[in-house]
Amino acid sequence: MQDNVGQSIKRLESESKVSGELKYLSDLKLPGMLHCKALRSPYAHARIVRIDSQRAAKFSGVEGVLTRDDMVDNPHFDSHYGPVLKDQTVVALDKVRYVGDLVAAVAATRLDIAEEALDLIEVEYEELGAVFSFEEALAENAPLLHEQVSKPEHGFVDLADVNPVEGTNICTTFHLSKGDLEKGFQNSDFVFENVFTCPSAQHAALETLCAVARLERNGGLTIWSTVQNPFVIRDQIAELFHLPVSKVRVIALNIGGGYGSKLYPKLEPLVAALAWKTRKPVGLTLTREEVFQTITKHAAEIHLKTGVTREGRLLARQCRIYLDTGAYAEIGPRVAKKSGYTAAGPYNIPNIQIDSCLVYTNKVPAGAFRGFGVSQSAWAHESEMDLIARALQMDPLELRQKNLLEEGGEFATGEHVHSFGLRQCVERVASALQWGEKCPPPPQKHLARGKGMACLIKATITPSISSALVRLNEDGSATVYVGTADVGQGSDTIMAQIVSQELAIPVTHVQVVHSDTDLCLYDLTTSSSRSTFHMGRAVQLAAQDIRRQLACLAGRLWNCPVEEVLFANQGVRCVVNDVVHAASYRNLLSASFGIKGANLVGKGTVKTEAVQRNGEPLTSAFWFAGAGAAEVEVDRETGSVRVVRYASAADVGKAINPFFCEQQLKGGAITGIGLALMEQLVYQDGLLINPNFLDYNLARFLDIPEEIIPILVERAHEEGPYGAKGVGETALIPVAPAIANAIEDAVGVRVTDLPITPEKVLRALQEKEQKAQLLEGPTPGRS
Amino acid sequence: MTRKKIILSVNGVRNEIEVEAKETLLETLRNRLDLTGAKLGCDQQVCGSCTVLMNDLPVSSCSVLAMDADGCEILTVEGLGAGGALHPIQQAFIEHGAFQCAYCTPGLILAVKYLLSRFPRPTEPQLRHYLAGNICRCGCHVEILQAVRSLARRAQENQL
Amino acid sequence: MGLNRFEYIEASSIPEASRFLADRPEEARIYAGGTSLLLLMKQRIARPAYLVNIKKIPGLRYIDKNDGTVRIGALTTHHDLEFSPLIRRWLPVISELEPEVANIRVRSTGTIGGNLGFAEPLTDLPPVLIAMDARIKVADESLERLLPLEHLFRGYYETSLRPQELITEIQVDLPAPFFGIKYLRFSMGSDKPLVGCAVGIRIDPESKLCVDARCVLGCVGPTPLRVREAEEALKGLPYRVNSSAKAARIAATACSPLTDLRATEEYKRAIVEVLMRRAVEEAFRRASSKLQG
Repeated sequence: MQDNVGQSIKRLESESKVSGELKYLSDLKLPGMLHCKALRSPYAHARIVRIDSQRAAKFSGVEGVLTRDDMVDNPHFDSHYGPVLKDQTVVALDKVRYVGDLVAAVAATRLDIAEEALDLIEVEYEELGAVFSFEEALAENAPLLHEQVSKPEHGFVDLADVNPVEGTNICTTFHLSKGDLEKGFQNSDFVFENVFTCPSAQHAALETLCAVARLERNGGLTIWSTVQNPFVIRDQIAELFHLPVSKVRVIALNIGGGYGSKLYPKLEPLVAALAWKTRKPVGLTLTREEVFQTITKHAAEIHLKTGVTREGRLLARQCRIYLDTGAYAEIGPRVAKKSGYTAAGPYNIPNIQIDSCLVYTNKVPAGAFRGFGVSQSAWAHESEMDLIARALQMDPLELRQKNLLEEGGEFATGEHVHSFGLRQCVERVASALQWGEKCPPPPQKHLARGKGMACLIKATITPSISSALVRLNEDGSATVYVGTADVGQGSDTIMAQIVSQELAIPVTHVQVVHSDTDLCLYDLTTSSSRSTFHMGRAVQLAAQDIRRQLACLAGRLWNCPVEEVLFANQGVRCVVNDVVHAASYRNLLSASFGIKGANLVGKGTVKTEAVQRNGEPLTSAFWFAGAGAAEVEVDRETGSVRVVRYASAADVGKAINPFFCEQQLKGGAITGIGLALMEQLVYQDGLLINPNFLDYNLARFLDIPEEIIPILVERAHEEGPYGAKGVGETALIPVAPAIANAIEDAVGVRVTDLPITPEKVLRALQEKEQKAQLLEGPTPGRS
Repeated sequence: MTRKKIILSVNGVRNEIEVEAKETLLETLRNRLDLTGAKLGCDQQVCGSCTVLMNDLPVSSCSVLAMDADGCEILTVEGLGAGGALHPIQQAFIEHGAFQCAYCTPGLILAVKYLLSRFPRPTEPQLRHYLAGNICRCGCHVEILQAVRSLARRAQENQL
Repeated sequence: MGLNRFEYIEASSIPEASRFLADRPEEARIYAGGTSLLLLMKQRIARPAYLVNIKKIPGLRYIDKNDGTVRIGALTTHHDLEFSPLIRRWLPVISELEPEVANIRVRSTGTIGGNLGFAEPLTDLPPVLIAMDARIKVADESLERLLPLEHLFRGYYETSLRPQELITEIQVDLPAPFFGIKYLRFSMGSDKPLVGCAVGIRIDPESKLCVDARCVLGCVGPTPLRVREAEEALKGLPYRVNSSAKAARIAATACSPLTDLRATEEYKRAIVEVLMRRAVEEAFRRASSKLQG
């Protein structure tokens, strides 16, 4: 059958996507829905002395104003929430912690009325000292963002050890060590020390954040949200409103891009509280500027110290990582952990020490961003690899090949990696760009070309859980229920392909119901590139559960052993004493149950553990391996960088839909190019000054390479469905260091702080020339 | 505030609508005519999610006053294709898988429609320049370019 | 964010529009495409109480040539310029730059009168037009006057026009024989230029020496900047790497860019220097190529 696993079938919802019929949340209107608008803090850090919302509340068309007064001693809902640390409040209580922090919100019959009513809310602030940099935040006697932070009762298992350091702005720390670091450095011939920095960035999903809440007659809440992990929202809202989770329904429609920005509570507590207050449905769609004021990518400063032998063996590496999580922890602690694990890179290094430190500052909160902190750490370790190679006068490819973590090798965490096709990724991106052959010099003298590469390792959230239901309908078609949100990656189609494969039915006969907490079984999250591996496997198990049930029915009907029942062409088949019995599912069901209308339900669950059977820790249910290689053209006179060609490889285990996998590789590369060359949030005294697309630039058609070469490596994982792993985040991670390495190859300068703007390249070129002149003295004949 | 009845021909259908001065064409299309194919993205004419054709030219409907569009012919993604069939551009987008989340797709399809009407056989720089105003954050640029090139090829073959 | 409330007026003639503007100089703004104005209104930087739409005024959208002058009506859009055969024939430098201006949607609605009258500093057309000694015709209720485009710009978003005056036409004389012009823009991932640089060179067909030059910079100061000292540095000389480098250095010193989130002042000066050098070379080449043509 052509619809099955391994086939590049089109997205099931393709027609509705090109016709414009597919509804995103902001395309829908509930009858009687109020429009919400939030009042945001103009101060980076201030005590709220007084809020008076009476005038706003009386404004014609306003149905409710939410302020801290609604939070204090309210028996119906709590004020504090947060996925890891309960440091967020529905609206500000005693103080505001960044410019844009939620102060109050208005629900009105029209959006423009809500907007106008905001001006009528009187707020008196008393400004407090604020911290914007790591130095300021970590200084002694620094103003504290959070005096005291509590943890949720039933938090994430993998983050149970997260604890803020009291009396400081340290949100959490992470430590990992292996071997004897000092000894490793002593035995090294050379020790390299470098600092790499990455700025804060924004996900820039084209669909902004949106949420709608409706209070039900039974006291329950229904929430529609642009959210990648509806079950986490359900749990947070249930806890906040003291409701059983059965009374909270969270629904995510198709989502207009997420990239990590649509995880964890954002607007849901606010609209739920306003729905509770006004007893009417309340909807809030953020403006572009507000999205920039809601969630960002962690800025990072990474200090690396690496010891190597003359031959290029890495003996020791120390990594100190500072991550700026902004005003609230959000999922920052997991970012700190994830970037920590992989900070030393995908190499076989006997002595490692890693310390990451997640710091609160008075800036927009930072959370998940495609790659969960790993793009930051890879920027450092992959830039450093080329610096080392250059110093040792060794081919960067060769240096990597010498040190790569191989199948079965021991990682920094002490566990051994399996299903890890890193070497193939590295070698195949190299050969795709004819590594070792010099780039032909461009015709214009001021242009120069070069090649560079980078590779990566990344973990997926572990332990975690996903469950799926498959319903075989009376006519033999199937309906699949998954908590996974389709953010465009094509998860619906992947799930349908798996059911199609297992049940031998056309993919068009499979309907996928997704991301509705009332209909679907629990799924932790659509992130961490985990859905194909976890939910895909759960769907496979659920379909296999149905196969077992079908085999039992057939066995009973034909008196044959269940293991001899075969599945093909939407039906079962069995040969008993040379007699061929065959029935379509439809006929089997009605024959077995004696009535039309019997369904079968299959259930599948995947739960990963933190410890392997052999006692080794399991920090990741599977490891991502990937690599990227770039050919760039640099204008020596302006510092402009153009990526001419880019090769992107990932070990996907098994490509269930090869086209989708390649699309992730190409798309990740393009987003990565934007992040490498232009994206950066700029603050002035705590005010984000480029919260819009005019001033925050994204890669456009003009910025993409002439050629992008996607390369799929398939080293099957025994626990993934058909061997599949994940691919969503892999491709973005190596782009920036691959480009920086290619620039150095082209013009001999190194940029260590992202983004690699033309200005930084030009300045580096000028400095290089000045140094050369100082060394050589004045060159004759030069003006 | 000024209110005015305007006549807007949208996808070949004539509408008489009373609008407010501050109403944008995008708001009129989405809120009054329930045509939600055009999306609000950046609200600054940068991203192109709200692209519609106004008298055959692409515009950012988020930044055109509805009153200014009075008397104009508007084409939105919903008006492409005929009799329930998809337009060749829409088909090419499917064939080449030229989208992921597809939030940008309606706008891009209209940008492509304009591009091909102006340059049936666009050069590579033309492709990139005339689509540069439409952002795709999922990064489907390669597939989109393939889709457009395939349409251009087909147009050329049909001509020969 | 949605737009603030305002009153919308459609003017049917220049005098009518001018009268309205004269009556409410502080509160009324001209809407002539709206590409820049609506942006500022959404950001609440501009809060006009009245928008006077002049786009419905008949007879202001044309591109003509007569008596050696190209006349462009103020309501002509970028898109009109981009695809005008007349412009392509007589002012090809404009056809060449237009595809790079902002994006196609902005070009579809944005008008040349709006572009100039708004005096937004990050824009492409003014340096090129000034390098061609363009004039603008402005009108109020009763009078019309012509002024060199160079004299229009006063500061960031500030022009020398009186509140009741509107731009009605742009005039560009056909380039002299042996005149070459090149516009170069530098941008980084954005629709807007970081630096723009227009160089016009007229050479003597016999001696091939530069007899006249225009060096105009955009985006590196409150207004487009004509660098006369750089022009002087080119005059009387044939194309030489040294003299173009000298002119470029002069331009880089003469301009007054500001450090902003896109680049530092220093970098913008460096880019001015590079663009100017490259534009001078190309302008000379174009001027000389007409020797054969």
